[in-house]
Amino acid sequence: MSSQTPTNWMPVASADYTNLEELGYVTLNIRIEGDVPAKRRFVYTWKSSNGTEHGQTDPQRLASFNFLPPHDGRFFLNADVTDGVGITRSAGMWVKIGDVAEDDFKRPPIPDDSAQTVIDVDDVSMIFNMASEQYNSLKEYFIALAHHELSFKEFRALDHVSFEVKRGEAFGLVGTNGSGKSTMLKIIAGVLEASEGTCTVTGSIAPLIELGAGFDMDLTARENIYLNGSLLGYRKEFIDEHLADIVEFAELKDFMDMPLKNYSSGMVARIAFAIATVAEPDILIVDETLSVGDFLFQQKCMRRIQELIGSGNVTVLLVSHSIEMVEAMCDRVCWIEKGHQRMIGPTDDVCAAYRNLGL
Amino acid sequence: MQTETKEIQPDGQSAWYPERQKSLYILRQLVTRDFKLKYRRSFLGVLWSVLNPLLMMVVMAAVFSTMMRFSSDSIPSYPLYIILGNVTFSLMSDSTSQGMRSIIDAASLLKKVRIKRWVFPLEKVLFAIVNFAFSLIAVLIVMLAVGVHPTWTALLLPVFLAYVGMFCIGLSLLLASLAVFFRDVIHLWSVVLTAWTYATPLFYPAEILPAWMLSLERFNPMYHFVNYARTLLLYQQVPSAMLNAACAFCGVAMLAIGILVFRKTEHRFILYI
Repeated sequence: MSSQTPTNWMPVASADYTNLEELGYVTLNIRIEGDVPAKRRFVYTWKSSNGTEHGQTDPQRLASFNFLPPHDGRFFLNADVTDGVGITRSAGMWVKIGDVAEDDFKRPPIPDDSAQTVIDVDDVSMIFNMASEQYNSLKEYFIALAHHELSFKEFRALDHVSFEVKRGEAFGLVGTNGSGKSTMLKIIAGVLEASEGTCTVTGSIAPLIELGAGFDMDLTARENIYLNGSLLGYRKEFIDEHLADIVEFAELKDFMDMPLKNYSSGMVARIAFAIATVAEPDILIVDETLSVGDFLFQQKCMRRIQELIGSGNVTVLLVSHSIEMVEAMCDRVCWIEKGHQRMIGPTDDVCAAYRNLGL
Repeated sequence: MQTETKEIQPDGQSAWYPERQKSLYILRQLVTRDFKLKYRRSFLGVLWSVLNPLLMMVVMAAVFSTMMRFSSDSIPSYPLYIILGNVTFSLMSDSTSQGMRSIIDAASLLKKVRIKRWVFPLEKVLFAIVNFAFSLIAVLIVMLAVGVHPTWTALLLPVFLAYVGMFCIGLSLLLASLAVFFRDVIHLWSVVLTAWTYATPLFYPAEILPAWMLSLERFNPMYHFVNYARTLLLYQQVPSAMLNAACAFCGVAMLAIGILVFRKTEHRFILYI
């Protein structure tokens, strides 16, 4: 180990379009912020916005990549930067080549005030008693009681957070790890009671149930679909009717009667997503569960989510600490940091501010 | 404050069940799951539900009637006496030890989806009752084998199940709540169950107990329940009003305590699971 802190660095991507007109390529430049590591290797990947085309370079030392687009459209350029001790960090961005129809990449419009509010978070605070988290056995509890150590250190996971989400919006909730996103999500889902303030939700909520929660590894995919469907509150007849749709979306045709333990985690995520979106829920909660799927499947999910948003009835709540997906889909974003509501507003404004956090 | 959820579409043809039906359907799905998992990949499958109490009875009857020389003139058939005690007791011990863990096991689900929390302990009791129903086949086999033919008193079994069911649901709700806050309960309960097995006249005649212990049995709910089952199927009489009252009291009281504790504590479960 070297004496410095070699981990304190971060790649930042920027695009240079100056050679696009004459030479036909876009340059992705990677700048390293912080303590620049002595050894650096760059692996560049690209993919088109519909995910059908993609490519990858060999590891190289150059901190820039000339991308020759196969056609007009939107492409995501990404760089994985690895330092001498094997730490890899990524930076990437979307580039636009030629005239691209805007609907290729759409966010729902920001609704006006008259639209129906489906999620109303009003001055919500969540306070955990640290003491209550610590005692897992009677012995520990009574020892603490005898020593008068039953102190109640307060920890505010959420501090006066307020926002409203209107019908038909795709609302993003961003924040770094431990910022309170998940706590907020649990309060909205109705499984955790807020300590202060009120949260009102109008309509049905469909979460993506992850591996190990509503799935049983020993049951087959078919049995799991019914189990999971029942947990989401679907009628049996409804599942019967839509079984084929779920199977088709999750691409499981030949695996229906295989126990789930033989499936990859990505396949399970596909089933979870297919079940949650087979009906038009009033509110769809999309969280990190989706990130286990490969990018082709993520594209498919994005399209389905956009279809749902396009129907005008479904509201999507997207929770993530990576902002690429949020940027691509959401019209408005709320940024929570250490329990405080740092910023709320149109996606571009909030994401720009959030990006600057790491710099 | 609890998040308030408003329903939008009460029309009959929606994709979702209303709240009450949803819980019922979940219960059914979970019982089906447990049932499938219990016998999946076993050669004899569901037959084990019948074989298991039968084999247990054979072992116990062999051990206790030949080695310990337990027998009594008041017991028309010792094997039937044992199997009735065993299946009744394992209905209670299965449902409570499973029900106790049910909330902890459903942790990842309860953190994400809004489901009635009582569904999980209740499901385990229902599953134990389904198993009990299968073990009744074993009881019937023993009855026919030893020449005690069932009479119309067997028709009172649903009453018996109602008493025991209430008791098991109450106890499971209570233990499930306690286990969430103190995991010690899980370890302690297996010891309690073992002690309870010996404290209840399951494989020995009640008469061998000294008078003071016999008088203590009044406070053992399982003593009453086991008595009730034996009255119906072994002695083939209508249980006395006293026995009915004792069983009903145990069932209702336990259910009330369980519901009370569960409702008081359930909103804090998520902080501990």
